Amino acid sequence: MEEVLAYPAKWWNEAVLVWLVVAVVIYAVTALPGIYFIVKYRFKPGEREIGDQEKHGHWGLEALWTIVPTIVVLVLATYSFAVFKKQRTVPEGAMTIKVTGFMWGWQVEYLDDKGNTVKTVVTAYNPTSYEVPEEQKIVVPAGKPIKVLLTSMDVIHAFYVMPAKIVEDAVPGRITYLWFQINKPGEYWVFCREFCGTGHSHMFAKLKVVPPEQFALWLKGETELAKRSNDI
Amino acid sequence: MREAVAVPWFSAGLKEWIFTTDHKKIGIMYFVTGLVFFTVAGLFGMILRFEQTSPGFQVVSPSFYNYLLTGHGAVMLLWWAIAAHIGGFGNFLLPLMIGARDVAFPRLNALSYWAFFGASVIVLLTLIPGNHIKMMWTGYPPYAAHADAGVTAYYVFAIHLLGVSSIATAVNFITTYLRMRAPGIGFWNTNLYIHSLIAANVIQLIGVPSLAGAVTMLFLDRYLGTNFFNPALGGDPLLYQNVFWFYSHPAVYVMIIPIFGFFSEILATFSRKPIFGYKSMVFAIWGIAVISFIVWIHHMFTSGVPDWARVLISYTTVLVAVPTGIKIFNWIATLHGGAIILRSPMLYTLGGIFMFLIGGLTGIPNAMVAIDLGVHDSLFVVGHFHYVLGMALTMGIFGAVIYWFPKITGRMYPENLGKISFWLVFIGANIFYFTQMVAGFLGMPRRYPDYPPIPEWVTLNQISTIGALILGVGVLVFLVGMIKGLTSGEKAPANPWNSPSLEWQIDSPAPVNNFGEKPPRVEPDYHPYKYGAPPAF
Repeated sequence: MEEVLAYPAKWWNEAVLVWLVVAVVIYAVTALPGIYFIVKYRFKPGEREIGDQEKHGHWGLEALWTIVPTIVVLVLATYSFAVFKKQRTVPEGAMTIKVTGFMWGWQVEYLDDKGNTVKTVVTAYNPTSYEVPEEQKIVVPAGKPIKVLLTSMDVIHAFYVMPAKIVEDAVPGRITYLWFQINKPGEYWVFCREFCGTGHSHMFAKLKVVPPEQFALWLKGETELAKRSNDI
Repeated sequence: MREAVAVPWFSAGLKEWIFTTDHKKIGIMYFVTGLVFFTVAGLFGMILRFEQTSPGFQVVSPSFYNYLLTGHGAVMLLWWAIAAHIGGFGNFLLPLMIGARDVAFPRLNALSYWAFFGASVIVLLTLIPGNHIKMMWTGYPPYAAHADAGVTAYYVFAIHLLGVSSIATAVNFITTYLRMRAPGIGFWNTNLYIHSLIAANVIQLIGVPSLAGAVTMLFLDRYLGTNFFNPALGGDPLLYQNVFWFYSHPAVYVMIIPIFGFFSEILATFSRKPIFGYKSMVFAIWGIAVISFIVWIHHMFTSGVPDWARVLISYTTVLVAVPTGIKIFNWIATLHGGAIILRSPMLYTLGGIFMFLIGGLTGIPNAMVAIDLGVHDSLFVVGHFHYVLGMALTMGIFGAVIYWFPKITGRMYPENLGKISFWLVFIGANIFYFTQMVAGFLGMPRRYPDYPPIPEWVTLNQISTIGALILGVGVLVFLVGMIKGLTSGEKAPANPWNSPSLEWQIDSPAPVNNFGEKPPRVEPDYHPYKYGAPPAF
């Protein structure tokens, strides 16, 4: 079985492929006859000075290119509906994180079973570089669906998980969500995709996908550190 | 003011221009203003492109980049894509094509122009460094109500003045079409350009108040402490997006439908053949106008609106492909059996239809909500709308300029420059925007002056800049051609293309009183696309 890098990117890629095939076919049946006509029916003085005045309409043809495109686009929209449902339905057993956008960075909260925040990662605004210090990376386990609850502190942002090909706005006063799952450990980009001002292009994050055991250790380690500082 | 009307445009003094109520002079003023703004916004676009060519900040600061991008978007859309051709060609051609003396309310028409002029002055004021506006042409709150966004008031007042102008123009044009057609011009033998112009203005009349309402609330929120969009005090930022897009989506059809009209006029003339499926073209125009009002949520597919709304609007949005498809198929069928002459207006039209075909096909992923979740607010969207609104529209206008140049100026546009500019524009634009779409599919967000050095992104952006340079040279050649045609173009005959359409039955340039004291005699079997003799050139 072929290894899937990320969800819902897998379905997104398939949908893009379906669209691309349809688009190329439509392009061919439209542009090729057009080019052929341009080559064939040229104005020639003394020979072909006037177009065929009788060819000014054909109800059958016009009905054809009304009905067929209608069916094609409705099929495409229905297919997209089916994919959309999968993109928006969070799988069972997903891990939830809370992400809050601000100008210009992200605050990521990890929750325990009861929904209390056990760990927080905040990315700092860096207007000149795309390097991220280790402690500001958003760590998530590989192979596990992650549900992201989104909101914003100030203006509208958008959380784009690049390998998963999914984006959702973070709107102040609202809680939106998206989910993704990345199967291969590594580092991936996250970008803000809703215009949010001067720092927009530097409102990004690094997503660090690690094996689940390592993630558990990472989460626990920091939790204990936090406890210790409370004790003091 | 009667005497001002009695002077043709080329011998009119400053006073006549300022006080004129003549639809032709107002049209020329609209177009020239639009063209100047187009040139400036194009230069803005070039700076944006240079900044994006490689990662890091090389040319401008991010804050100035945001100003340039706001200016580029707002000016290209509102000055070039609406005012230049609706105010310019619409004014010039509407009375001529229906055989009228002027528009229904000439003084209101002058008010339209001067309100538009006022908006232009406001936009020029934002060039002063302290006055920059940086909230993008969409002006989404809460950002637009934030200090980082610059002086929101300029944006609001420019939109208000443009709104006054647009509504007055819409009332004027619709009334003119309904009441002032020469005897013999009916619904089924009106030029397709006029059908599309009227459809566009009906959209304007219904939609513009919605935009004005959105920006007015924005103004109140920012300066007078109301809370329409402030979630902390019970407002909702999405309200703005809904009210804004309720007009601004139909607005893209306001921009493009009249261009379809140009395509139809020019395509028929240079195929020497009636437009194929005239009636289905008319139905398609009005179909687009109706559907345009029920698709706006596709701009908000990832904004947190409920899933059912996204799916519903996904269905209505794909339906736009049906009437636009009818138009493209009819244009292709018009070529069948024609006697095709590849003069530069025809090249621009064929190129524009090609761009629209690509733009339409790449619009489907934006309508298919599943794909949109991955490409929303990416460079793909930018590439897509530059195919449709950017290039299909600009090529349509360029074609129209060359085609009606004889009627407007009395001289011919230099054909060689028309052809050269076409190939430069066509090749440049395709390199430019196609690579942007690919970069968007690879995830690159829009509105990014800086980006991480991801190798594919860098390569694509560099190719894109090469395309932009070619496109820029093409536009420049086109502008040189206009100046050359104006100053030394050969004298134009009354009807160089030998078109049966009414505007070609009078002298070139169009005389001050159009058809004279009486409306023109229209034969009972008149039709604007009934070609007999070959053209005169």
